[in-house]
Amino acid sequence: MSPSRMRFAAGRIVRNEGHGEIFYRLEASLPEPVEFDPGQFAMVSGWPGNDPLLPRPLAIFRAGQGTKGKGTVEFVYKVVGRGTALLSGLHPGDPLSLTLPLGRGFDLGKDGRRYWLVGGGVGFATVFPAAAMLARRRAEYEMFLGSRTRDQLPPKEWTPGGSAAGRVHRCTEDGTAGSFGRVTDIVKERMAVLTEAEASRLTILACGPREMLKEIARAAASLGAGMQAALENHMACGFGVCWGCVVALREGEKTGYRRVCREGPVFDAREVVW
Amino acid sequence: MTPDLAVSLGSLRLKNPVMSASGTFGYGLEFAPFYDISRLGAIVVKGLSLAPAQGNPPGRIVETASGMLNAIGLQNIGVERFLADVAPRLSDAGATFAANIYGRTIEEYEAVAERLSGLASLAAIEVNASCPNVKEGGMAFGATPEGISLLTGRVRRATGKPLWVKLSPNVADIASIAAAAEDSGADAVSLINTIVGMAVDHRTRRARLANVTGGLSGPAIKPVALRMVWEVCRRVKIPVIGIGGIQTASDALEFLLVGAQAVQVGTANFRNPMACVEILEGIEAFLREERLHDIGDYRGKLLP
Repeated sequence: MSPSRMRFAAGRIVRNEGHGEIFYRLEASLPEPVEFDPGQFAMVSGWPGNDPLLPRPLAIFRAGQGTKGKGTVEFVYKVVGRGTALLSGLHPGDPLSLTLPLGRGFDLGKDGRRYWLVGGGVGFATVFPAAAMLARRRAEYEMFLGSRTRDQLPPKEWTPGGSAAGRVHRCTEDGTAGSFGRVTDIVKERMAVLTEAEASRLTILACGPREMLKEIARAAASLGAGMQAALENHMACGFGVCWGCVVALREGEKTGYRRVCREGPVFDAREVVW
Repeated sequence: MTPDLAVSLGSLRLKNPVMSASGTFGYGLEFAPFYDISRLGAIVVKGLSLAPAQGNPPGRIVETASGMLNAIGLQNIGVERFLADVAPRLSDAGATFAANIYGRTIEEYEAVAERLSGLASLAAIEVNASCPNVKEGGMAFGATPEGISLLTGRVRRATGKPLWVKLSPNVADIASIAAAAEDSGADAVSLINTIVGMAVDHRTRRARLANVTGGLSGPAIKPVALRMVWEVCRRVKIPVIGIGGIQTASDALEFLLVGAQAVQVGTANFRNPMACVEILEGIEAFLREERLHDIGDYRGKLLP
């Protein structure tokens, strides 16, 4: 099977460890290796029984080769409800059902672009794979990570490409780590001092709360910078058949409902009806 | 020996009794990456209307205990695009497929049915007389025996295709509605569609669905569906297609046991894209284990 092909896989948990109060890092083995584009996701379940019924969408954090031709996949998730709480209670060796890789990820195709990666809250889990790819390509990028408080920032050692000064900017709303303030404001302040030429060469890749995405999208649009926003939504299937996860997108004069799981989760921020 | 799983729905012969339920399987092709979709008894595609439809605003789905509510609102590509882009590819894939249809008026139902009638590869038309999420999604017809007679009779005259009528559980006496469909020319009835439900958030004090109410599906509704299928099987002579909360082969077998000729698997496709084939393989394994050579030797054999 082509490693980038969508499949339903019977995986097994290798580790599922809590970091700080809220993040879990989950690694599973897969029957075959999988390749993914940064921004793509998986539908994941493993708790017994029918309640909750549906798997949970998780951004793919990393994927690699396992032993004996098998594959591995990693996720970072935050416990937000019953599904993720049950997921966090699973142990190494437990079976895990996964449908992956899903959706359309970030477009990192263009040369000569300068990238800003913005992760609000657990949104870092979606933008880190993009950072890893840009670091491998030696592309020009900076990363902005924000959270409410210190414990909700990702551990520094998780940062792909190293967290050298000038490259990774961390901030908290309560000032307990990094700069003091919202990541939205910090990004907007930086944007405000760009020249027109700089702005036109900039692509922002962002994942986080909708309000954060909306504000940054507005600022980016007014400066002529590009922006790709990774959206989240409740979804039943994750592969385009339930039509439950739609968002409104601008299409010329009209708007239409498009699936976060299929046409997204990464959308051109200018097209999203915020 | 391989058990014979073939079933007849009137004049239509299906290679096995496992179908996908409309609205849970897209247009069928979405499942081609997961398995050979020609293995299914039939694929029932997402409800088609005369013109493409936008559907309801989000949020459209919410999880509930052992189930989910949806209020998609029949978003679909419309019958013309289905004929041009989808149907040929389903044929190429070797799939047996039926089209679920709906209209805002009886004339629209007739027009969609007529438009589909020329499609040689189409196995059947399933009339949606039961969508709870759209004002004109068929419920107006599906709620009474008179309404179902009118709709069934008119679509019957519009097409020579095998005609299935999909019934709503949101009625007082589903058996009399099924009987009305039978009397008006339906070749089969399929039931149940979703049960109207609602979820609210006690903190935000808002409904969880933009549409406020939605259709409940999943394992939570299986006992209701099973009872209704059993009642209808005792009332009508035409084949009954059982739907509602089928997640496993044993769930499917329960519907066959109370008299359903075939089943449709719905919400289970969302949680496991392999659900339909796993159920099919499970039914086959069960028949082998029971040393039954023909599924007909099991169907309708509920003991007193």
